[in-house]
Amino acid sequence: MTLVGVLITVLGFVIAVLSVAMTSSVGGRMVLVLIGIALSLIGIIRIINGAFLKNAVWRR
Amino acid sequence: MEEIRSVKKTILLLTLSLNASLALAQAPAAPAAAPAAAPVPITDSDLKGVASPSNDDRLRGDPGGSITGTVADIAVADSKKGLTIGDVVNQIGQNKIAINFVWTLITGFLVMFMQAGFAVVETGLCRAKNANHTMMMNFMVYGVGMLAYWLIGFAIQMGGVGGNGNLGGIQPLNTEWTINLFGKAFGLFGQHGLFLTQGGTYDVGTMVMFLFQMVFMDTALTIVTGSCAERWKYVAFVVASFVMGAFTYPLFANWAWGNGWLANLGANFGLGKGYCDFAGSGVVHAVGGLTALAGAMIVGPRLGKYTRDGKPNAIIGHDIVIVLTGCFILAFGWFGFNPGSTLGASGNGNLRISSVAVNTMLAGMTGGFGAMFYMWMRYGKPDASMSGNGLLAGLVAITAPSGFVNTVGASIIGLIAGVLVCISVEFVDRVMKVDDPVGAISVHGTNGLWGVLSVGLFADGKSNYGGSWNGVNGSVTGLFYGDASQLVAQLMGIATLIGFVFTFSFVVFWIIEMVVGHRVSAKVELDGLDLPEMGQLGYPEFELKARSAAAA
Repeated sequence: MTLVGVLITVLGFVIAVLSVAMTSSVGGRMVLVLIGIALSLIGIIRIINGAFLKNAVWRR
Repeated sequence: MEEIRSVKKTILLLTLSLNASLALAQAPAAPAAAPAAAPVPITDSDLKGVASPSNDDRLRGDPGGSITGTVADIAVADSKKGLTIGDVVNQIGQNKIAINFVWTLITGFLVMFMQAGFAVVETGLCRAKNANHTMMMNFMVYGVGMLAYWLIGFAIQMGGVGGNGNLGGIQPLNTEWTINLFGKAFGLFGQHGLFLTQGGTYDVGTMVMFLFQMVFMDTALTIVTGSCAERWKYVAFVVASFVMGAFTYPLFANWAWGNGWLANLGANFGLGKGYCDFAGSGVVHAVGGLTALAGAMIVGPRLGKYTRDGKPNAIIGHDIVIVLTGCFILAFGWFGFNPGSTLGASGNGNLRISSVAVNTMLAGMTGGFGAMFYMWMRYGKPDASMSGNGLLAGLVAITAPSGFVNTVGASIIGLIAGVLVCISVEFVDRVMKVDDPVGAISVHGTNGLWGVLSVGLFADGKSNYGGSWNGVNGSVTGLFYGDASQLVAQLMGIATLIGFVFTFSFVVFWIIEMVVGHRVSAKVELDGLDLPEMGQLGYPEFELKARSAAAA
């Protein structure tokens, strides 16, 4: 799951970068960048961190 | 009736004429239309008549300071010709650059002293049994980072930045490696400046730039030692810090400050003035904070931090006195961090250093207030360590916008940061269950991102640093002052920090985990890291007193 989280986090960054080519409108770019940020945050907070919490030292 | 009307009319006329005469009296006198005086050319012969203090005068000393620093002190290129206009003009140019060199170097020295602030803040927030280890990490991160940056990092960050008029050109830093994407050049890293000799970089202006950028980089590195404190193997710390100083920090810093693709979002894609980060909320603090998050996740929480059902226990630091002293040292150093980022005190727009300094102190103050009142209302006491973190959060948040906002904007940014740091600490601690002994992730990561965002909201369009920023004419202007596209550029920076910088740091930490291992053994952690890792206790007398007290 950690690897999936890493890939999703990077995907968020890629979507943000692609926004400059996908549309020329400020609003459109803003929406795409915000989607990218949300995706990256999900990747870090939910997926990567979730994977670490499953094997956390305090659970043992 | 007619008489009354007549009297009223007379009074009205008198009043009007009196007002008119008063108005005329208060109005500035119209300037007489004088013919424009033709400029009188100054020739070399005019300079011959400028009196120089005699030797006798100089031998008597100069208690009034009126004969020190005169025409006699201007270097003459050709003694046969004597003083010429060329000599005077060259001296003026050198004076401007000298002022900027001194300004940038001294503010760099202030930033260097922030290492001491970080060291005592982090050590005070950790337990006494780990004091030597925590202090030593903060001490040696300075050297490890500097070595990595001198060897590789500076070239990656600034090797393609191009000229800088404030520092006399620094033309050797002119080679940026780019790729072509969507029909535009995307700058990825610089190529000049390895060892500060390669590519003609043995250059006085380049040395100033190196010193100033080096201490910024070291600030980012020392953030990570806080989040991983009290359980991090010293050898893993050395390797991780070297990689961060050589690659992680310089890459993002190049994109933002070194003529990279983020800086050029305005010129290439019409997004405001490109990604704007005046002194590094994103470049320094968010990079440090997100790397701290990656590190804390992989290293894992300290033993005893969480119960078996995941509830957090408070592990109290050992010295609140040095924590708050450290916060003051950091606040002092921040006057180097932000105003110094003009890279000069003389030149177009550089007098805004006063505005930058005032914004910095205001945001720090409102940040401290925000955290203090939040904790007071929520827990009934004005928590000292969180008030300190609130001050730092305000300073972190104002770092990016300090050069672009007014004092009201700065105060609001700091106040929000002070509250945000408290909420973020609770979120990281209770929801994410990531153990961050000093709150580094929240102070630097969360508020670094907030600082970057706030440029896109609060930049008031009044700053003017030579008429353009990142190669786009005009002043940086945020959403609240009419430019939504600047907000998109800032969000792009945030997406890069979260999506790229975090991931890069996470992979680096992962590799180190596999090769060296990050975590000390449970026994070492419980005993304290000072003896097993460093060979010496931080406070040996404390140990003796505890034993004698137990014996009694």
